[in-house]
Amino acid sequence: MSKQLTRIAACVAAAAALQAAPALAQDAYLIGVSGAMTGPVAGGYAPIVESMKAYLDHVNAQGGVNGKRVEIVIQDDQAQPSRAATNAKKLVAQDRVVLLVNTSLSSTYAPMVAESKRAGVPLFFAGGVCPPETYPPADPLQFCSTAYSANLDSEAALGFIKSSSSSPVRIAFAGMAIPLVRTGIEHAEKVAASLGMKTVGTQYSPPPAPDYTPFATKIKDADPNWVFSWSPWVSQVRTFEALRRLGWDGPYVTWAHLNAEEELARIKDGRFYVIGTNAFLEDNLPVHAEMRAVAHRAGLKYPTSYLTEGYVAGMVLEAALKKVSWPPTPQKVAAAMSNLKVDLRGLRGGPLEWTKDNHFRTAQYYRVWRWDPAQNRIVRVQDWKAIQAKR
Amino acid sequence: MTVPRASGYFRTRYAEDFALLDTRTRKAWAALFAAALLVYPFLAGPLALDLANQVLLGAVGAVALMLLTGYAGQISLGHAGLLAAGAFTTGILFKEFGAPFWVTLPASALVGAALGLIFGLPSLRLRGLYLAVSTLALHFIVIHLGAEYETKRGFSTGILVDPPSIGGWQLYDARAWYFVLLAAAAATVLFSLNLLRSKTGRAWRAIHGREAVAGALGISVHRAKLSAFVVSSMLTAVAGCLFAYFRGFVSVEAFSLFLTIQYVAMVIIGGMGSILGAVLGTVFVILFPYFIEWLMEAAGLAEELAAVVFAVNYSAFGLVMILFLVFEPQGLVGVWRRIQAWFLMWPFKQKPLAGTK
Amino acid sequence: MQLAVNIAVLAAIYALISCGYVLIYRATRVLSLAHGELMMLGAYGLYATASLFSGHPVAAVAAAGVLALAVGVLVYFALMWRMTGESVLAAVLATIALGILLRGLMALAFGTQTRHPLAELGWTNASIAVGEDAFVSGVGLVLVLATAAVYGLLFAFLRFTRWGIRMRAAGQNPLLAAQRGIGLHGIYALAWGLATFTGGLAGMLIASDAGLESTMVVIGLKAFPAALVGGLDSLAGALLGSIVIAAAEVLMVHHVDPLLSDVVPFFILLAMLIVRPWGFFGSREELDRV
Repeated sequence: MSKQLTRIAACVAAAAALQAAPALAQDAYLIGVSGAMTGPVAGGYAPIVESMKAYLDHVNAQGGVNGKRVEIVIQDDQAQPSRAATNAKKLVAQDRVVLLVNTSLSSTYAPMVAESKRAGVPLFFAGGVCPPETYPPADPLQFCSTAYSANLDSEAALGFIKSSSSSPVRIAFAGMAIPLVRTGIEHAEKVAASLGMKTVGTQYSPPPAPDYTPFATKIKDADPNWVFSWSPWVSQVRTFEALRRLGWDGPYVTWAHLNAEEELARIKDGRFYVIGTNAFLEDNLPVHAEMRAVAHRAGLKYPTSYLTEGYVAGMVLEAALKKVSWPPTPQKVAAAMSNLKVDLRGLRGGPLEWTKDNHFRTAQYYRVWRWDPAQNRIVRVQDWKAIQAKR
Repeated sequence: MTVPRASGYFRTRYAEDFALLDTRTRKAWAALFAAALLVYPFLAGPLALDLANQVLLGAVGAVALMLLTGYAGQISLGHAGLLAAGAFTTGILFKEFGAPFWVTLPASALVGAALGLIFGLPSLRLRGLYLAVSTLALHFIVIHLGAEYETKRGFSTGILVDPPSIGGWQLYDARAWYFVLLAAAAATVLFSLNLLRSKTGRAWRAIHGREAVAGALGISVHRAKLSAFVVSSMLTAVAGCLFAYFRGFVSVEAFSLFLTIQYVAMVIIGGMGSILGAVLGTVFVILFPYFIEWLMEAAGLAEELAAVVFAVNYSAFGLVMILFLVFEPQGLVGVWRRIQAWFLMWPFKQKPLAGTK
Repeated sequence: MQLAVNIAVLAAIYALISCGYVLIYRATRVLSLAHGELMMLGAYGLYATASLFSGHPVAAVAAAGVLALAVGVLVYFALMWRMTGESVLAAVLATIALGILLRGLMALAFGTQTRHPLAELGWTNASIAVGEDAFVSGVGLVLVLATAAVYGLLFAFLRFTRWGIRMRAAGQNPLLAAQRGIGLHGIYALAWGLATFTGGLAGMLIASDAGLESTMVVIGLKAFPAALVGGLDSLAGALLGSIVIAAAEVLMVHHVDPLLSDVVPFFILLAMLIVRPWGFFGSREELDRV
């Protein structure tokens, strides 16, 4: 009798279980996604994955790409690096996907990049922050379609502030105390200085704070006439709400996350500006009608306005695969993605363009919106304004 | 120490009481098991290999926690913080000084030992839950310092660590990692088993039982507690260092409180006070989510429940943990012993003797 | 002045959360690590009743309160009473497991979107001027008042009512209490019910102020140092601990570095553990000193 017996049994059983996964259709373009589908940050990523899948299902229903189906395998990584690593291994080695997609927290990037490099499978970031390797000079295997970009966003936002204020700007920054945001805001401080603005204060609040008033009090005491916040939505909006309750009524600029449109209508504040690159549903473009229908058919439980980002990613995937002749290989997909121009049908200010050394996009287009209390609806404050992406 | 279980086998020398493997059958099984472990990477697919690597890496940390909690009876909720301390020591030394493997590993161990000493100090005055919370403070402080470093140096998506190279040869391949991690896990298990049958190990068990009695028996309670913290933290930090190299990066997000909970779950589900339990618990906790996913796929539910499969997985983990705590407080090791006893007693139906451990 | 208001609101949040830890610990000697999830469940309860009783906000709030109380009692009878007699660690782990289960179930039932129960009730969170140049949000004011009411009622309950005295007796010496005819399971269930009610109330109020999403769980953990600094088995201690921690946090944000506000409670806790491990008002023998 020995304890070792079970260990062997357990190992064998586990190995058998893992080998026994059903084989996927061989006549389809296989794409593997590792996303934060559950866990504390899922709210910012799960809608993107689901809308991307809904779009590809729609493409399949229309006859697929080049007459073949696009099959998408989704794995949950709960924003945990170890799970992302395992997902990447499984997707590459077992499912033999031709493209890896990451829609998760930046802490999951490193293990996926490692696997992508090892196997030579391109890696597409759809919804998480774009890693530096996708900006020129880009890594041959990494691509990104995510709307936000710490440095460009603050340049665009500060440009907007500069252009819409006649008096000297005394600006304050607010954000969440996470490395990504702090790096972004530090860049914004430099940009502000170069634009001749005076930075009067910078506040970082811990990831969840029970009450944002103490942070807002300090911002208010610094007496800014503009506040810019680039951060996860919670910290952006709660700092804002706390500021308003303290009686500060200045203009506040933030990044337009997935839920921005819904939130503008909830907050209904005339001086709460959001800046972003994805068109709002209230534009009522033809593609929006399609989005509604697709979301309805897929039975998605999110408001349609949350789905733009994932829809864009789906369009990019479709366009890239269109250029891949059958049978697909990771090399062909990477080659197709390195020279790609995707017409986003108005969901962004212009086409998404990838070149050999720019896998972010050549130009990023920004719009600014706010709620107009007089008309009781969202209005555009600034129309598409392009910023060239270089590093 | 094991209790003789085969009939007709009686110990005749004191040394036999201390033997890790007492009978020939057990030696044979152990050899077979070792052989299976060595052959495994050549048979397993890439995913199974990666899971095995995770289990081996997890086992180092779980055994370390088992020494502290399962044997010395000290509750710790700072496990993720200690792993982070080891991983960050490695990452920082690598980034700042380009330090090689043979520098970062001992450095991580040293940092771990030092942290263990500092955060073991409250254990001299505190017990139980109060201690748990003071170790929680360790977690928050280490994570805060790690985040400061990442921000100050601009590594906002984490510190990338190159694979360790030994004499110009880079450790990169999953199979090579398997053997490295296997060696690390085996060394940890053997080290712990040896420690537990030494004076130190017996002192730990004594303070776990009753501190006052242990003190009366001449055991230095303070020294035993601190040594438990130092040894456990050192092993944990080494696991953190291995994590940094194995995953190729370090970032604060990788060391959340949930990681601590997972390690504690490994120890509990495996069964308190047993090194085998720590290993079984690690296997269980790491493979469980994949098992559920596979189960749902096999049942053909994956398509229908695609939107909720992940939430189901999360809930199932909590549910299984509850079921273990309620119905099998001795953990997997308890199940294992019951099976063993059943075979031993067969064909006689009899409950295992009380106190058989 | 604004600083004082900020401290009061934050202290009220911490106090309302930590009294749940104290109630459960005092009666059953278990630290509930599922408190954050139970808070969140309470808040989701309010969200659900708000849409159920749309148009009758008061009824919705009352129903949510009763629901939270019932959930607590249910948790005790479904899970925690089975853990009596097991080691403290096992019981604490059971609460952790319960937390994981609840989090999964809530994600299943409500998704991951941010919800706004206050808007669902049809109320707004107005800003109220206090004195010269300080402001407090409507919800913040309710928080302070609710915390004061909860603590006042709890003190009265534990001191003057029969059930309150039984609960204290059961906490002090369960064996003796049981021998004197006190039904321990009833008392323990009541403690869980009350703790979940107060926690749920905290969850509802925080969600009303800031929206309801998964980070609430972590806020539950943040009240931890407050309960410990005060002494885990003392309600008065929890109140004082909350004020100390809140003051330290707010002053740290304002005068030193907001980045440190996350760790400062734990530094205070460590200092307290070294100097006076049983907390401000905790009982000393409780610590079972070496």
